Amino acid sequence: MSETRRIRIGENGRLEEVDVVVPDGEPAIWDADARLAVVGTAVSRLDGLAKACGRARYTSDVRLPGMLHGRILRSPHPHARIAAIDATAAARLKGVRAVLTFERPDVFAAIAETDEAGRAIEGDGKGAAAGARSLLYAGDEVAAVAAVSADVAGDALRLITVRYDILPHVTDLERARRPGAPPVFPDGNVRPAAVRKRGDIDAGFAQAAAVVEGTWRTPVALHNALETHGAVAAWQDGGLTVWAATQGVFGCRDDLARFFGLEAAKVRVVSDYLGGGFGAKFGAGIAAVVAAMLARKAGAPVRLVLDRAEENLATGNRPSTVQSLRIGAAADGTLTAIHLKTYGTGGIAGGAGCGGPAWNIYACPNVLVEEQDVHTNAGPAAPFRAPGYPQGSFALESALDDLAGRLGLDPLALRRRNYIDKPAKALETQYALAAQAIGWDRRPHLGTAGGQDGRLRRGLGLGTAMWPVYGGPPADARVTINSDGTVECACGTQDIGTGTRTAMAIVTAEVIGIAPAAVRVTLGDTAIGLYSPASGGSVTLNSILPAVRAAAEGAKAKFLAAVAPALGAAPGDVDLAGGEVRTRDGARRMPFAQAAARLRTSVATAQASRVPNYPGRGGALFGAQFAEVVVDTWTGCVRVVRIAAAHDCGRVVDRLTAESQVCGGVVMGLSTALLEERVIDHDTGLVLNANLEDYKVAGTLEMPEIVPILTEVYDPANNAGVKGLGEPPIVPTAAAIANAVSHAIGRRVRELPITPAHVLDLLGRPAEA
Amino acid sequence: MRDRRDDRPEDERHPADDTGAPADAAAGDADGTVEDAAADDGSDGAGGVSRRDFLKGLGVGGGAVGAGLLAARPAAAAPPGPRRLGPGPVSISLQVNGRTRTLSIEPRVTLLDALRDRLDLTGAKEVCDRGSCGACTVLVDGRPVYACMMLALDARGRAITTIEGIGTPEKPHPIQQAFVEKDALQCGFCTPGFVVAARALLDGRPRPTLDEVREGLAGHVCRCGTYTRVFEAVLAAAGRRGGAS
Repeated sequence: MSETRRIRIGENGRLEEVDVVVPDGEPAIWDADARLAVVGTAVSRLDGLAKACGRARYTSDVRLPGMLHGRILRSPHPHARIAAIDATAAARLKGVRAVLTFERPDVFAAIAETDEAGRAIEGDGKGAAAGARSLLYAGDEVAAVAAVSADVAGDALRLITVRYDILPHVTDLERARRPGAPPVFPDGNVRPAAVRKRGDIDAGFAQAAAVVEGTWRTPVALHNALETHGAVAAWQDGGLTVWAATQGVFGCRDDLARFFGLEAAKVRVVSDYLGGGFGAKFGAGIAAVVAAMLARKAGAPVRLVLDRAEENLATGNRPSTVQSLRIGAAADGTLTAIHLKTYGTGGIAGGAGCGGPAWNIYACPNVLVEEQDVHTNAGPAAPFRAPGYPQGSFALESALDDLAGRLGLDPLALRRRNYIDKPAKALETQYALAAQAIGWDRRPHLGTAGGQDGRLRRGLGLGTAMWPVYGGPPADARVTINSDGTVECACGTQDIGTGTRTAMAIVTAEVIGIAPAAVRVTLGDTAIGLYSPASGGSVTLNSILPAVRAAAEGAKAKFLAAVAPALGAAPGDVDLAGGEVRTRDGARRMPFAQAAARLRTSVATAQASRVPNYPGRGGALFGAQFAEVVVDTWTGCVRVVRIAAAHDCGRVVDRLTAESQVCGGVVMGLSTALLEERVIDHDTGLVLNANLEDYKVAGTLEMPEIVPILTEVYDPANNAGVKGLGEPPIVPTAAAIANAVSHAIGRRVRELPITPAHVLDLLGRPAEA
Repeated sequence: MRDRRDDRPEDERHPADDTGAPADAAAGDADGTVEDAAADDGSDGAGGVSRRDFLKGLGVGGGAVGAGLLAARPAAAAPPGPRRLGPGPVSISLQVNGRTRTLSIEPRVTLLDALRDRLDLTGAKEVCDRGSCGACTVLVDGRPVYACMMLALDARGRAITTIEGIGTPEKPHPIQQAFVEKDALQCGFCTPGFVVAARALLDGRPRPTLDEVREGLAGHVCRCGTYTRVFEAVLAAAGRRGGAS
């Protein structure tokens, strides 16, 4: 049933032997002793040229014969009821094929159990008091049209007349918390707090030699994936086929099946390429459901792709936070207590908690985390790359720097004293490498405290990354060796831009002994029938690659059994490497394609499933980022000069795409730190910057030098030794930049984004110690 | 809800122009309106209508269409002016990637929608639809242009090059090759725009500095955050092209 194997784990220079229990038939584990030819090298993306030449077909590029274009009419009011809708003129317009109105209170209630957008609450009847649907934010769906072009559909929307009963609204977080505020939901705006507790913080604070406290604020941020939410829906072959901009084809399929009352097998969801998701594209969402509703009514395929404003009003956001944080430490810097009390708003959805960093990143025996959601009349939050962590990290790391100052400790020394002692101690290496890359030893001579008093002041700051490893079963994959020498790898996962396609090819190529570019990868389609989880939470490679590896090993074994006689050898005496079949003594060789032609059947194929993590193995992902900034004290402008980012992802699969993940997380974190904030006019309840020029994201001119450092950690919980890398690189960036700015100007940054106005305001206050 | 006519600036200049294209290639007048100076291509007999004149002719030059429906405006309400086109479909020809393509479109259709929805050239992406992200960039007479900001009518008689015309996966342009080698792309949605702008940049300035690359590509947004690798790719491609000439 299972067997015990001795493997070597840790990081280079600090390896140790441990025993792990693995299921029978599990391939040899890629531990620290594995010598791999392709895995861990820099491999260009398999789909790189398709993307760079404009040939990659994203959902919004799908064109079907007879396809119509859908558009959605959205509420112009932050809180209203639909008193009456007249869509007859729209329906009569030339070129219009279908019109839907959404006044029924339960219209979207069945979309998804996982939908946190408040729809389920409405489905319970709470929003249905007057028998008409409550529109809970400006941008909520009112009606939809399908027509021969998007322009005609837009014309039709303008012909729909709606009489709204306007209700009192609240979009301001602080106002929403006050007694008597207009209720977003009938049972009030302030949800019960979620409380996590370990140890005794009162005892911890009593032991502390120093205690710091403060309040930190972060704004609502918008995902702004470049491809907006959208779908092309076609009722065909006795079922529903949907091309969807989704991070999870299976989740999208299940949502659609539930909504339309179909068997899952009657729904097919395809996503060949996705123009970014960052957490906002789980499940079917309104766009795919409405596209399918319109297609059914029109009797023709419908393409419904949201525009940028809709994307920024209605499809997700990172909730705001107001964090009150208190931390105590002994004189040597050892943490004795952390108390975080936080609230924030994800509009009509929850998810404003940000206690992960306070709870998880540093070793501290006494921790109390209280998190509270406040509802406002604004679009629903959705998971956003490392949900809660960048916000929580900002406050936590800021307070730790205050604590270091109070105790007269170097901020890095304070972190080193408190990092969590996991089996693989990559963090110590990450601190050392990233500190060296940024030149941390210059810190005492920089900033206001270091004697800089001119216009330009330079500062250094750091933060620690941490993210729990969530991947695991179920996930299935199939590898096929054809008699024409082609090799296929299939899994119903999706490549959301992270390089999943290429990673699947690399693992297959490693096992079969061929080049990754020679592997034909199939993914992004539920019809493949091989399950994969949605791509979020850094789970994709961790979940699917062990299945790919096991399938490739299975196909290889069948292949060798079939072709070994041609070399006059037993199957156990031959191996695949370097594009050849070789006897183990190297005496006899045959090119791979020539050997494949000898397959008695046309294929050697194997399917395999992800087995659970090996008992007791695995663990969190860690990283460390250091930032160097220059602050112009005349203008308040912050320029990030350099960021050194050291991260582990278990075993590196593709060095090129892994480094890109790190750089991408850093850039998004920089953007969070300096630029991003959704702005609402609270009087009207309208979002003022639901576009890409007033909602500023980092561009070429803001780019610092980025130094990605990958510290491989071998602690296999699966046969491939992979963990994940999507979230960790965004976790500490804003914190490191904020600490660097605080260091430069001698005043504590307490609010994101760090705009010039905010910096000038801080400079108008007395310098802190 | 978006409207094609109401809220976008007319300035069609592209950041790559500042470092890239020769001065005499700038076809815009002082306020940035692009005049259609091309000879009538014969397909509709109505050449020489600028976007501005077109808008004025429809009585919407002030930028406010309001909730009115273009198609429903009585023709008699239009003031006298240049010869009107539309609002119904008109037949036009476009020179795209070296081929003449004839299509029937409403005058309000942007060059981007014409390319994507009528000619199935989906490499240029619609991301912001208001000239703030660069994902729809194409070359018009060698200049990079945000295709969401130009009416298809105004592209008549111009040489239009889309990402599909710059290289193919079988025969990529050196810039495309460099993007792949440096991993200057993740989800890839912004990539066609970056590649087209980089092509214009290097055509005008074959050996740019890093700062010139930053400036030249400043009109492009990449949400995955690949900018530093885009810089590397463009500089690498410049080195290669420079070495060949």
